[in-house]
Amino acid sequence: MQVHKYDVVIIGAGGAGMRAAIEAGQRARTAVISKLYPTRSHTGAAQGGMCAALANVEEDNWEWHTFDTIKGGDYLVDQDAAEVMAKEAIDAVLDLERMGLPFNRTPEGRIDQRRFGGHTRDHGKAPVRRACYAADRTGHMILQTLYQNCVKHNVEFFNEYYVLDLVMVEDENGVRRPAGVVTYDLATGDVHVFQAKSVIFASGGCGKIFKTTSNAHTLTGDGMAIALRNGIPLEDMEFVQFHPTGLAGLGILVSEAARGEGGILRNSEGERFMERYAPTIKDLAPRDIVARSMANEVREGRGCGPNKDYVLLDLTHLEPAHIDAKLPDITEFARTYLGVEPYTEPVPVFPTAHYAMGGIPTNIKAEVYANSEETIPGLYAAGEVACVSVHGSNRLGTNSLLDINVFGKRAGIFASEYAATADFLPIPDDAADATVAALNKLLDGQGTEKVGEIRKELQEVMDADMQVFRTEETIRNAIATIEKLEARYENISVQDKGKRFNLDLLEAMELGFLLQLAKVMSVAALHRQESRGGHFREDFPNRDDENFMKHSMVYMDAESEFEGISGMRFDTKPVVFTRYEPMERKY
Amino acid sequence: MATPLKAKVSVPRSKDTTVNGVKYNRSSSKRNNSEMYAWLFMRFSGVLLVVLIFGHLFVNLMQPGGVHAIDFGFVGGKLANPFWQVWDLLLLWLAMLHGTNGIRTIIMDYAEKDRTRVTLKTILYLASAFILLVGTLVIFTFDPCPPNADPSLLASFCPAP
Amino acid sequence: MADFEAREPESKVEIASEKGGAEGIKTFDVTVQIRRYNPELSEEAHWDEFKVQMYGTDRVLDILHKVKWEIDGSLSFRRSCAHGVCGSDAMRINGRNRLACKTLLKDLDLSKPITIEPIKGLPCEKDLIVDMEPFFQAYREIMPFLVNDGHEPERERYQSVEDRERFDDTTKCILCAACTSSCPVFWTDGQYFGPAAIVNAHRFIFDSRDDAGDMRLEILNDKEGVWRCRTTFNCTEACPRGIQITKAIAEVKQAIVARAF
Repeated sequence: MQVHKYDVVIIGAGGAGMRAAIEAGQRARTAVISKLYPTRSHTGAAQGGMCAALANVEEDNWEWHTFDTIKGGDYLVDQDAAEVMAKEAIDAVLDLERMGLPFNRTPEGRIDQRRFGGHTRDHGKAPVRRACYAADRTGHMILQTLYQNCVKHNVEFFNEYYVLDLVMVEDENGVRRPAGVVTYDLATGDVHVFQAKSVIFASGGCGKIFKTTSNAHTLTGDGMAIALRNGIPLEDMEFVQFHPTGLAGLGILVSEAARGEGGILRNSEGERFMERYAPTIKDLAPRDIVARSMANEVREGRGCGPNKDYVLLDLTHLEPAHIDAKLPDITEFARTYLGVEPYTEPVPVFPTAHYAMGGIPTNIKAEVYANSEETIPGLYAAGEVACVSVHGSNRLGTNSLLDINVFGKRAGIFASEYAATADFLPIPDDAADATVAALNKLLDGQGTEKVGEIRKELQEVMDADMQVFRTEETIRNAIATIEKLEARYENISVQDKGKRFNLDLLEAMELGFLLQLAKVMSVAALHRQESRGGHFREDFPNRDDENFMKHSMVYMDAESEFEGISGMRFDTKPVVFTRYEPMERKY
Repeated sequence: MATPLKAKVSVPRSKDTTVNGVKYNRSSSKRNNSEMYAWLFMRFSGVLLVVLIFGHLFVNLMQPGGVHAIDFGFVGGKLANPFWQVWDLLLLWLAMLHGTNGIRTIIMDYAEKDRTRVTLKTILYLASAFILLVGTLVIFTFDPCPPNADPSLLASFCPAP
Repeated sequence: MADFEAREPESKVEIASEKGGAEGIKTFDVTVQIRRYNPELSEEAHWDEFKVQMYGTDRVLDILHKVKWEIDGSLSFRRSCAHGVCGSDAMRINGRNRLACKTLLKDLDLSKPITIEPIKGLPCEKDLIVDMEPFFQAYREIMPFLVNDGHEPERERYQSVEDRERFDDTTKCILCAACTSSCPVFWTDGQYFGPAAIVNAHRFIFDSRDDAGDMRLEILNDKEGVWRCRTTFNCTEACPRGIQITKAIAEVKQAIVARAF
């Protein structure tokens, strides 16, 4: 076991992790630990843009942005956090520009802006141009720019190191604090422990719980599950965003920018059906509404294709030159993967699991909550892994790129400030024992179950029962299946027994994380007997502010039981209100 | 681009990486314009050589009688003319330098070991220098009618001794 | 842009005959030969052959997943996003550098076995995984970040649409190494900076906001810099993002020459 010592350890090298690293790296001795090379992170797949009320092309202000974020999240948004994000958005975009990000420009040479779903002028009057973008590869440019700046500031990276556990110890005041993390070096199979004064989780989402997803294969919720296993609750896990326009059957993302630039959705009758569901802003309604409308069209028999299982994204009324200038990548995806020419043919699309609104609960300083009231000194989280909560029950398009930049920066600053005042906690001798035992159990296991099969069954049941439409019955069915799969997981074996690049072993570890998170997600969904944002219960189709205007908090606790499901403890956390009263959410 | 350097940025230097005996970081940071001049020379000499070679071919082949008319006397006559002396000298030097530099790059691209590279390059440079020397010598010292030669071996146009 | 907004799309249109998507997906058998190497077991690399049933819409990455998840779990390769934006899965497919997730089976000749090898020129670690460190080292050496010593403007720096367009092509790079590892010059001794590093230098050299273009040109005026490019166009052909790499290298060469005279 090798031990490394750093003031700040950042887990994950995507947008949030590297944004934090740029701040922390200039203030404290910082290590970034990532299971991928930084430029492979999934921030790079984000396409459309990053919203900030720069008002470069039309009147706008950050207060409208705050309102849109809160309304988009169906009022489950912590309003102090939304204010911070919308206000700091402007600096976040300007920071990136100064770091070198090549934004598209207006004729005057300023950062260009375009429309995006749910972003409106003056509290919902009409769509507004708020998203700053670089063609349809804004995420790619952000990831590259952040990595470039990490290179500039000589940030230390540990690439292809998997973080498998967090070391939490009690300090002299009896407060549980992080002392470091346990990692696995993919190249050598060695376990390394990183001792740290503060730890930042920036490890991304868990989209691979689902079969149809825009998420990368590596998005297995490692950070969330590790936090959960260390007694930290997960907040609002029932809220998953299904992006309306995934390429049918594949789930590959087609940016909302396609609709922002004028693309529209049609059903098999050629009807622009969003006119019925959101008469004012139509195809630019928030994602949960569009996704549900699409699923409803298909359910009512107006789907397209031989199996009537998708709808069409129509760009054919746009000029090819306009499409080439603004949406080059996604039109290429349609050509490559579906053989469809978007200039002349509509593109088959269907909702795809895209983003986890929930995650590790944090406050606006990115400090992680130990429970509904207290935070854990020295532990931070930012990005998709965290739940601040700025997205509430449904994230608006572009707000994730904003989230990672605003709260990534905050996490980096506050974590290094904390590290300047705190001492290292000793790493217990047995810190890595549980991890080593878990790895050895998989390596030595003589079981008959295979990782691939269990994962496939998990993803299929989650797609069937926990997608856009949910009922108590489907959720219970999902939980029952997950519990069966958990039992089978105990009897798993990996074929690769070696130490070098044993991805077989790591996939088995990741499956363990996925199973756990799927269960948390289902339990939280079972509890929420209402429909709000990304969580739609057919048995409770209305929002119920009286009983459910609060965040759900799920703990892993062997002694507890919730609704007949053992090992889970359930709690709630109040929503922070500042100035916006909940209203009906109509577009 | 031609703005003077204002920025003073420490370039992140790479660590020494040697994998399986192959050293991956660039051996030295000795930078000068030699490779650029070599690259430019290849382009310019290439263009010039096309003119020189086609001029040479035209004069040699388009005369009455074509290729069959070339004999010792014809060559001797040309080399007696200062214009053709310069022409041939240019042709010789440019072709040799162009070719040598071409082979040098091929050695650079294909010889994997430093020692092979040095050996091959040494042979190349020696051979090139030898040919250049001999060639130049011939162009300037060639006399088709050397004095005191056996008259039976002299060309017909040589003045009788 | 204004003319697009003027035309509100029709509420209802005739949808032409069903196109694309799931129409008649056929299954067929595919034979793949994968180059295997695991120094823990043997110093020698060898070829493994697998026969798998695949669908018409599948990609080479799906074959690798099928083999790994159903037949041989020890097969190792990198992959992440699976749609050609993360750059993890560059490999040699039928002798050409490709991203496995962007290579559709329907575009390959399936009458012969598909061959899959790791990319060349970088040391192989295991199966299809190579050591990327040398590649990123070259990238780091060209100072891949904006350098601007001028005063920080309060708002954004201005840049005209034309100035932004000037380096657009080279901003697409995802650092997958398909280009560098397709370059015969790089194969020899790994000393050449390689196309990817030059592409990323180009991205900054031609960015009107950057002040360190001179320094980057100086770096690339190295014996192992742009002058080692032999314009074989392998890199342009290999690039999964369609970047005109050889052209970008030529532009850097011209900039160095222009600076010298």
